[in-house]
Amino acid sequence: MRSSLQRRAPTLLRTISRRSQYEAAIISNAPRPAAAATRPAAVAPQKRWHSSVNADEISHFNALASTWWDPHGSSRALHLMNPLRHDFINTCRSTSLSSSTTVTPEPNSQPTAGQQQQHQAPKLRYLDVGCGGGIFAESAARLPSTHSVTAIDAAPVIIQVARQHASKDPLLAEPTKLRYINTTIENLASTLQSSPEGSKFDVVTLFEVIEHVDQPANFLSHLSNHVKPGGWLVLSTIARTWTSWFTTNFMAEDVLGIVPKGTHDWNKYINDDELRGYFSKFADEQGWDLSSLMVQGVVYVPGLGWKEVQGSEKVGNYFLGVQKKA
Amino acid sequence: MAAWHSPLGPSPHAACSSKSNILPISAVMDLLIRKRAAGYVCRSCTRQVQREIRLRRSYSSSARPDIYDVVCVGGGPAGLSLLTALRANPVTSHLRIALVEAQDLSKIKSWKLPPDRFSNRCSSLTPASVRYLDQIGAWHHLDQTRVQDYHEMQVWDGVTDARIEFDTLSSSPTSGPDTTIAYMTENLNLTSGLLKRLEELGGVSTYDNAKVEQITLGAEHPESNLDLREWPVIHLSGGKQLHARLLVGADGANSPVRSFAGIQARGWDYNRHGVVATLALEEQDFPTHQSFSPSGKIAYQRFLPTGPVALLPLPGNFATLVWSTTPENAALLKSLPPKEFIAMVNAAFRLSPVDLSYLHSPASSGTPKEEEYSWRMEHTHINPLSVPQTIIGVQENSIASFPLKFRHADTYIAERVALVGDAAHTIHPLAGQGLNQGQGDIQSLARTISYAVEHGMDIGTTMALESYLSERYAANHVVMGVCDKLHKLYSFESGPLVGLRSLGLRAVNGWEGVKSFLMRQASGGGSML
Repeated sequence: MRSSLQRRAPTLLRTISRRSQYEAAIISNAPRPAAAATRPAAVAPQKRWHSSVNADEISHFNALASTWWDPHGSSRALHLMNPLRHDFINTCRSTSLSSSTTVTPEPNSQPTAGQQQQHQAPKLRYLDVGCGGGIFAESAARLPSTHSVTAIDAAPVIIQVARQHASKDPLLAEPTKLRYINTTIENLASTLQSSPEGSKFDVVTLFEVIEHVDQPANFLSHLSNHVKPGGWLVLSTIARTWTSWFTTNFMAEDVLGIVPKGTHDWNKYINDDELRGYFSKFADEQGWDLSSLMVQGVVYVPGLGWKEVQGSEKVGNYFLGVQKKA
Repeated sequence: MAAWHSPLGPSPHAACSSKSNILPISAVMDLLIRKRAAGYVCRSCTRQVQREIRLRRSYSSSARPDIYDVVCVGGGPAGLSLLTALRANPVTSHLRIALVEAQDLSKIKSWKLPPDRFSNRCSSLTPASVRYLDQIGAWHHLDQTRVQDYHEMQVWDGVTDARIEFDTLSSSPTSGPDTTIAYMTENLNLTSGLLKRLEELGGVSTYDNAKVEQITLGAEHPESNLDLREWPVIHLSGGKQLHARLLVGADGANSPVRSFAGIQARGWDYNRHGVVATLALEEQDFPTHQSFSPSGKIAYQRFLPTGPVALLPLPGNFATLVWSTTPENAALLKSLPPKEFIAMVNAAFRLSPVDLSYLHSPASSGTPKEEEYSWRMEHTHINPLSVPQTIIGVQENSIASFPLKFRHADTYIAERVALVGDAAHTIHPLAGQGLNQGQGDIQSLARTISYAVEHGMDIGTTMALESYLSERYAANHVVMGVCDKLHKLYSFESGPLVGLRSLGLRAVNGWEGVKSFLMRQASGGGSML
């Protein structure tokens, strides 16, 4: 249905009229109207796959698995975006660190005595939710400032691809550096119960995921349980605008073919003000520091890659970061 | 697939071992099977190969591979600059680095010559290259008494005598106090300085006196859950094997790394040889030029129909010669006794192309060249200020020649491979850009690796290396194209092009804007293009 261009326009119009319903759903922590029958996961732990995971999405991404790591394949745009994710996390973290640990090095300054760079700050534990083939998880695990990366995805085939790919890099083969778990956010707490790592993380990331889940508010409240006090939740997604429908659905999928057909359901896109609404509504309950909330719009220019553009969060792709009170 | 380790040293089975140095195992096996079928390979050879394959298999599943982040093959200026840059930058200084070089590096590091003797292999370093060498902490390790800066260039057409005079003061009056066009130094001074800086930085596993026997791909290591089948493995003479996350080919024009990566280098031979020599000049400097040339040193280049001849200043009253000419002329020059060779070089900057052509021809072999030269000079009028000082001596054993080629690799990157310097491009030496292009490559590749490390990328992947290719390929192509076209433009002795090119040189000389642009390109080197 999604791939049918003829039906898209009427769907689009219908969706606009339903938009207020979505907004209500996001900020009230209730399921989206389309998935209203499913109860929140916390009270339905018996189900194999929980409410936030959409079966269509799983099969779509399973089908993409083989090309995930092809630098000129269907995930090229994601590969190109990855460095910006690290830049955004650094920006977020540098605002909360008075004595910055991310010192920009001078090329001619002397290296530290040891082989390994010394970082005064404790090393970071990452949780990457919806890790896919591991583009972000691998890169985070390679950083000298990283203690460990736990990466989860609900799609079993994708997790296999991720594990296989990680075995090509001896740096990631250390079992403590990077671990992949095939699970959902709802089941993660019980999976990590016996883990020596604990179930709380310094940085919880959610890159290009929230637009693929059925109950974003419910999903976010599960996520918030895994953010340490003083830790960050960092996500990226796409604003639901005429422009984003035109660029991500029509141009990227149908015309240019940069993104595989059927990757995006425009109805599920979330605007930054909706997310701001969510975090202010649950600031006290979940412990968010609203003053830390940061949004950065990015634009993909074919041939040049991703560029940060102020204000573009209102138009298309954007990053959002928010810190928990210490 | 496991690798086949080729038989080492002198072997009675030379037919097998000689061809197997750099071929991947599949190609070697293919070769052997075909040769076996044709009856060229003895039975014991085949058995040995099979035994080696069995050995290699058991090896790769038991021993832990020796894994490096960067393995650089080639310890010339490009390779050493790259490793110095990586070690000097705190972002990349934790990388595990190995250097493989066929020569004895300790000899190069302790290289020393008396002040009146110079190696015949010299290079012109642009201020951009020198700035970078300084940035990575290497420049002050060079013997500065063996570096000569120059602030003026005299370039002219040997047929029409149209001239372009470059000096930084007149062409860019607003520029800062530094008016240097370039710095001349011996390649050995540069490599020796880089080695001293690398020693100071430490942390590079050096395999010198080492031959690369072959490069293969790694194996699967199920016991440690490792899949190194896409990783290059460098097999050194003596049996050492290095796994490379990123294999850097800084191994020259005939790069074995490039062959391993299956990258073609396309181009042509100019059918010209570059004759080099270390020369002594009559006087140290020209007082008349001191107003705008602090060192009083000038670089001279004359375009002759057979190719350009250049005289570049060295410290004291010494200079280095690069004379591009036909292989026949080069052979003749190398065969001449010192007195006659000196006369020929003086003639090359003064006499008409017709006279020169006669001096090179067998018809003139009866008379010593110096007699021919002095007789012809009586009938040639030249302004002594527009040509180099008279050459009075040539250093013993310093005359050598090498064939000139144009080569450009189809790409500089492949999965876990990057090519730099001559392995990526070989250029006509007429603009003195070869080594500077390599320095531009290093600057870009070191920056690319640093960015990749900062962002958690696997530095060996083409995804991480893409920006190196896009930054350098087009830039090098422009420089190479210009130098190639210049060579071709000046190889005509007559015809409309000759008139046009002198018109062009005269116009450029009179047009300050264009001249200062050309000057900036020449002195800015890699950073501008």
